[in-house]
Amino acid sequence: MKANNHILGVFDDPDAATTAVEQLVKNKIAIKDVFSPFPLEHVWKKLKMKTRIPYLTFTYGALGTASVYGFLYWSSVINYPLIFGGKPTNSLSFVVVMFVLTILSGVIFTLLTYLVREKLWPGKQVNLPDPRTMDDKFVIVIEKNKNMDEALTKKIDDLLKNSGAVEVNES
Amino acid sequence: MDKKLYVSKSFKLILVAFIILGIVAILVGFFTGHTDRSWASLLLNNFYFLSVALGALFWMAIQSITQSGWSAAFVRVPQAMVTYLILAFALWLILFFGLHDLFPWLGEDAARDSVLVHKVPYLNVTFLSVRFVVFFILWILLASRIRRLSLKEDEFGGLTYFKKIEFNSKVFIFVLGISFIFFPLDWLMSLEPHWYSTLFSVKYFISAFYHGSAIILAIVIILNKLGYFPFLNKGHLHDFSKYIFMLSIMWGYMWFVQYLLIWYGNIPEETAYFFLRRQEGFKILFVSEIFINWLFPFLFLMWNRMAKNTTALLITVGVLIIGQWVELYNAVFPAVVHHPAIGFIEVGSFVGFAALFTFVVIQSLSKHPLIPKNHPYLEESLNEEDE
Repeated sequence: MKANNHILGVFDDPDAATTAVEQLVKNKIAIKDVFSPFPLEHVWKKLKMKTRIPYLTFTYGALGTASVYGFLYWSSVINYPLIFGGKPTNSLSFVVVMFVLTILSGVIFTLLTYLVREKLWPGKQVNLPDPRTMDDKFVIVIEKNKNMDEALTKKIDDLLKNSGAVEVNES
Repeated sequence: MDKKLYVSKSFKLILVAFIILGIVAILVGFFTGHTDRSWASLLLNNFYFLSVALGALFWMAIQSITQSGWSAAFVRVPQAMVTYLILAFALWLILFFGLHDLFPWLGEDAARDSVLVHKVPYLNVTFLSVRFVVFFILWILLASRIRRLSLKEDEFGGLTYFKKIEFNSKVFIFVLGISFIFFPLDWLMSLEPHWYSTLFSVKYFISAFYHGSAIILAIVIILNKLGYFPFLNKGHLHDFSKYIFMLSIMWGYMWFVQYLLIWYGNIPEETAYFFLRRQEGFKILFVSEIFINWLFPFLFLMWNRMAKNTTALLITVGVLIIGQWVELYNAVFPAVVHHPAIGFIEVGSFVGFAALFTFVVIQSLSKHPLIPKNHPYLEESLNEEDE
């Protein structure tokens, strides 16, 4: 983050942070991000954030099922049809393997997609507005843009303070 | 807030007409020589609505044990469904006249059959009746106690009743967990006494919970469309449908685990059960059972918009109502009637029982205010966030 480009409202209490988010949304002030030690469901809903990752998970799962079935079919029906116990080669027991590998491919590819989208990787240096969000503080980040004058900045500061911010910082 | 359910006289009369239709359907079977079909229908429908009532009570017990807030306003609905238990007991007593028609272990050849002779210490009428009476007394006692405590809470308020309900719910899930292992064994699995499966009861337990919670949702939505529960929003609906979605997976899992193990083991004693059901005539119902009860709700409710839409949820529950009927038909009819038969007797008796169940539920709902006004979590339930 570039210096002096953001307003940070630091909160002690998740409810106060939620109220602040509500107030800011009501005043049509764009919130860049909210940092919190644990997920705040109400904030998520108030910010009207959307995610498309469930659709991807479904796709990965469906592709996983299809490709695992393809592999099982190729290996035990086409390539090496070995009959044991009088069972058909295109066997019902494929379902168990498909079930497990569907979950596996869904989980692993979703995780990878998430890491790629969020530009995260093991050992990455964290870039936090305030290191205390890892502990017990909740931070609302508002980006200052060019047409934000003194009055508006003041208004935002007041809004944050009135909703219970313990500090309002700039960074 | 103190609004009670009002049901018009004409609706009750229609229900009574349907109940008479049900009685006629059963009697038609007895007088036209289809005694087996009548007994099978009685067993099917008795088991159907008993498991719906017990599933509803289990659902309610889970709400109080987990101290769920969102469902606080709706607890009167499962409580009303549970009042059917007393009637279920009375109706089940009729089945004792048909034991010899239903159960092969009471047939003429049973004494010469070494397998059945071996099972006599468990499968005999005396012990069956004892189990039956003990289970029903425990269920009815706990159910009416929970209901009475909840009504007292309405009167006096405070946390005492809330804690007592929680304790009784804990007792109830233990009682149900143990008794519902034996109950489906006694009344469904022993229709084919040579066959056994250790997963049988679990499947019917899940099925009871599954369809019980589905019918709670249907009653809540219908009451909402009639103008009750005005605060019902998509948050509540999503919570309700999460139960159905989760249990559809659980049900499909149980069905498949039982089938796969028997298919893979391929032991004639075990496959006989599925062999009968995969023959011509029964096959279409056997295959449709898993599609109706698992695949349809699973794929349909996965779609987030459908999981919060009242019409879509009513359709799902409607499908599940048929689904449980098909499931129990597959358990009872191949064993008792031996050939596929769906006609006036089966449909009429189901309609009769459904009308009777509806009658009991609305009667019990209209006695007390629909919303428990002193429930400690009521505020949370009324102010659930819309999604």
